[in-house]
Amino acid sequence: MTAKRFKANETVDFVVVGSGAAGGVIARELSQAGLTVLVFEQGPRLSPADFEHDELKYWLLSGITSDPISSPQTFRKTPADTAKLPRGPNPLMYARLVGGSSNHYTANFWRFHEVDFHERSVYGSIPGTAFADWPISYRELEPYYTKVEWEVGVSGLANASPFDPPRSKPYPMPPMPVKSSGVLMEAGARKLGLHPFPAPLAIASQPYRGRPACVHCGFCMGFGCEARAKSSTLFTMIPEAEATGRCEVRTASYVFRVDTDAAGRTTGVHYFDADKRQHFQKARAVVLSANGAETARLLLNSTSNRFPHGLANSSGMVGKHLMFNQGAGVHAVFEHEINDFKSVQVTRILHDFYDADPKRGFYGGGGIDARINPQPAIWAMAAGGDLPTWGPEFKSRLEAFPRSTMSTGHCTSLPLENNSVSLDPTVKDAWGIPAIRVTYKDHPDDLATAKFLQDRSYEIMEAAGAKKLWRERVQESSDAAHLLGTCRMGDDPKTSVVDKYHRTHDVPNLFLCDGSSFVTSGRGQPTMTIQALAFRAGDYIGQFARRNEI
Amino acid sequence: MHHTDGAKDLEAEELEGTSRRSFLLSTGGLITAGWLGTQWAAITAAAHHAADMGASDAAAAPAWRGFQFLSESESQDVDAIAAQIVPSGATPGAREAHAVYFIDRAMSTFFAAWSAEFRAGLAEFQAKFHALHPDASSFAAAGSAIQVAFLGTVDRTPFFETARMLTVLGMFSSPKYGGNTAGIGWKMMGFEDRHAFTPPFGHYDANYAGFVPYPEKPA
Repeated sequence: MTAKRFKANETVDFVVVGSGAAGGVIARELSQAGLTVLVFEQGPRLSPADFEHDELKYWLLSGITSDPISSPQTFRKTPADTAKLPRGPNPLMYARLVGGSSNHYTANFWRFHEVDFHERSVYGSIPGTAFADWPISYRELEPYYTKVEWEVGVSGLANASPFDPPRSKPYPMPPMPVKSSGVLMEAGARKLGLHPFPAPLAIASQPYRGRPACVHCGFCMGFGCEARAKSSTLFTMIPEAEATGRCEVRTASYVFRVDTDAAGRTTGVHYFDADKRQHFQKARAVVLSANGAETARLLLNSTSNRFPHGLANSSGMVGKHLMFNQGAGVHAVFEHEINDFKSVQVTRILHDFYDADPKRGFYGGGGIDARINPQPAIWAMAAGGDLPTWGPEFKSRLEAFPRSTMSTGHCTSLPLENNSVSLDPTVKDAWGIPAIRVTYKDHPDDLATAKFLQDRSYEIMEAAGAKKLWRERVQESSDAAHLLGTCRMGDDPKTSVVDKYHRTHDVPNLFLCDGSSFVTSGRGQPTMTIQALAFRAGDYIGQFARRNEI
Repeated sequence: MHHTDGAKDLEAEELEGTSRRSFLLSTGGLITAGWLGTQWAAITAAAHHAADMGASDAAAAPAWRGFQFLSESESQDVDAIAAQIVPSGATPGAREAHAVYFIDRAMSTFFAAWSAEFRAGLAEFQAKFHALHPDASSFAAAGSAIQVAFLGTVDRTPFFETARMLTVLGMFSSPKYGGNTAGIGWKMMGFEDRHAFTPPFGHYDANYAGFVPYPEKPA
């Protein structure tokens, strides 16, 4: 196959900014629908052999993630504070390479439940928040969840959880083999009358669509998959898009501005190539799938006379309502070897506390899993907890690594207007573009939910027979990998950025689809829903293009 | 017992595979030809990759050429601090893992941005120690009991926290960064540096009876 290469002056049907979880799906859907697609990716294209088991590089030296040297981000808790450059990695972590963060995600692929789409109607308003219903329902998204499971590739056991939402098809692959951490979590939870079940994962449990099955190396979270078993768009959607002969993925190309004409329509994008030379790419329409941080930043940086506050921002909502997904874990040490460093990170989860319950006295809910920071150095850095962090007792803690696991809650985060991505007034990136400024302070209900689920995790590990147990500190967020809500979807142009088809209310041929489209946060595992939205968006946007409605 | 549609077969398949592999592992670590066939491409890729990594590790971690950042006395104190953070004993500690080599490399290369702060913190640490123990020529030269007691008074300082973090990284990061010599940190903690594993992974999944579906939706 010769990869498509568009000529410099060619007008493509679609520019898609970002080749990750959403961009990869949309590029594939649009190119398979017969449209020409040029995907821009800031990072390089890596092959499986390029991925290493190197914790220092991947976790601390921004090996494949946006790095604080060339692309700094600042952080503050409230708008009253001055944002500062943190030490170490950027607060908003995302992977910068073909396939985006679908390379380094843990691959937990929970569907949202029906309630996620209309919680505002169920629980009523929450003062001081922008808690709202989605303009779409679970029923509308269900066929696309199924599409993700079959076309991207998800392993799982259909209807294993009594709380599962309805589905039209079983999973295409059986669940991954259970690990000791999953067995223990399942035993403890069942003892308490709960309903643990095999975790759905976007990892091939058997050979699937030309990819081999997982070899259980253990380096899923934070790493690219050297076996191609993780269903990253790098290995799934992108090659299928390129195989149409209508899709080019242009790497090392950083889009910094979306252009608009006098009529208020987008005409294409400005980007830097690998040598920092500027170019302009013409397109009939533009889709931003740059992630929940960069999509908002790109719009805010695309000001013009007509759009003085940023593109598609007549509502003032671009960048607002950033949501992270709170959560806190419980560390547990058992009598015998668990060896949680082997294989995928999670094999059992439960959704008994998924729904919010007004009786708890706060809004929120989530899922619980059994997992560990699987890799030795990052595990050891966090080891200790309320135990001594140096000396012989610390060493004993380190030596308990094979017998250690964790149970963690994955929770809701409320949409708050102050929690946001904005342009830093002073800090710029290596290309001279204003840096991302993060403002974030968890709502008290988010912290209460994290604490509540942590207590349930504690009980589960206790019931499972843990010899030693202690809690992580429940604390306000200072960083995140789940970047949600910054260009929320809605019917009302005054309170939302995109409509239910991901078209911006303000610019008819500009579409946004990634974590930024979320109205509420879900329960901690967003990529499945990001990709279902992307399949749905690709479907509708393709139809609009064919009807000349772009 | 009510089974949900399709669920039973999928789970049965998983169980059969798991128990079969468990059995084979317990009888000599062999892998079935069938399993090997399906996994070969990935295993080969992982093995080649591991070999590449091995080669590049060796290239990236040349023979020790002396400290590039730490002075002789600084390196002795840092080594002594590291050796109290993860002490030697029945199993190797930070000293045997050469955490101090990692720290020197970190300060002269990838964490160079912190190096001035680290050196200032170390100087303050040394000054404080000298004020309390004017008879001892250095922290490194003091007895272990004195070192432990002193560290107990400074273990909340940013310098100590940095030293602790660097020691841990120096023990457990890839050996190509100068510490974790020959992977002894990994061996100490029970981590196996491999690119493929087969079930059972631990004690508790070896005899897992299988996932039993729930009879009905709870109220």
